[in-house]
Amino acid sequence: MARMKFLCDADRCIECNACVTACKNEHEVPWGINRRRVVTLNDGKPGERSVSMACMHCTDAPCAAVCPVNCFYTTADAVVLHSKDICIGCGYCFYACPFGAPQYPRVGNFGSRGKMDKCTYCSGGPEADFSTAEYEKYGSNRLAEGKLPLCAEMCSTKALLAGDGEMIAEIYKLRVIKRGYGSGAWGWKTAYRETVAI
Amino acid sequence: MRQDPKTLGRRQFFRALGGSTVAAAAAVASPMGATEAQAYDPGNDETKARYRESDHVKAFYRTNGYETLKKNTDPASTGPK
Repeated sequence: MARMKFLCDADRCIECNACVTACKNEHEVPWGINRRRVVTLNDGKPGERSVSMACMHCTDAPCAAVCPVNCFYTTADAVVLHSKDICIGCGYCFYACPFGAPQYPRVGNFGSRGKMDKCTYCSGGPEADFSTAEYEKYGSNRLAEGKLPLCAEMCSTKALLAGDGEMIAEIYKLRVIKRGYGSGAWGWKTAYRETVAI
Repeated sequence: MRQDPKTLGRRQFFRALGGSTVAAAAAVASPMGATEAQAYDPGNDETKARYRESDHVKAFYRTNGYETLKKNTDPASTGPK
């Protein structure tokens, strides 16, 4: 059984935020919520790196472990989803998530933030596939259409990989074998000499 | 003033009220009969696998691995990395 994964090739990400825009547009994500965002380390300095981050659909998801109402479930594709009908917006999952993936429509205290929203790996929610209710709550269901998350498909530098974990791991391994990684990458020493190492 | 023995006096009334409140609270707090919390189960239909290696997905893999997968199968290729 294929396990759906994201992998961001940090040597390729140019922080264009096309993945963020694609996600917001595809799912009509409301103001104040970003299911995906780009994090930049050492911004403006030699060795700068950007990584596109969203829910990583953990195998043993900490959000699901702390949820007091057990609204999370994992699909056969290993995608972690949740039911907005059951979510009480307590915010525990936000504190538990190491990636900051869970987002809330409003700023507030316990129980006043609204229903949690997060990346669905473009695979909708518990409602029937392609239904209006599913689209309104969770966005489009591209996986059921035989497609992959739009953030990865839109990536102009092909930094963000999505799909079967074994397949994208193979693509990434071959890339690293060809070009090296970090300070071992092709062109690195020309750009940064040998004073910056990652 | 003498109280009618058939009616409930003020003290008896509050005593009876307090007793029933304690009994109700004990019934709510008692674990007897409470059901264990269940994880949300949306059903087999909603958790089934939706991913399939369609032509669209194959094209994604092919274009993302074009530098590597393609050249890996072509030993004569010596282009820039």
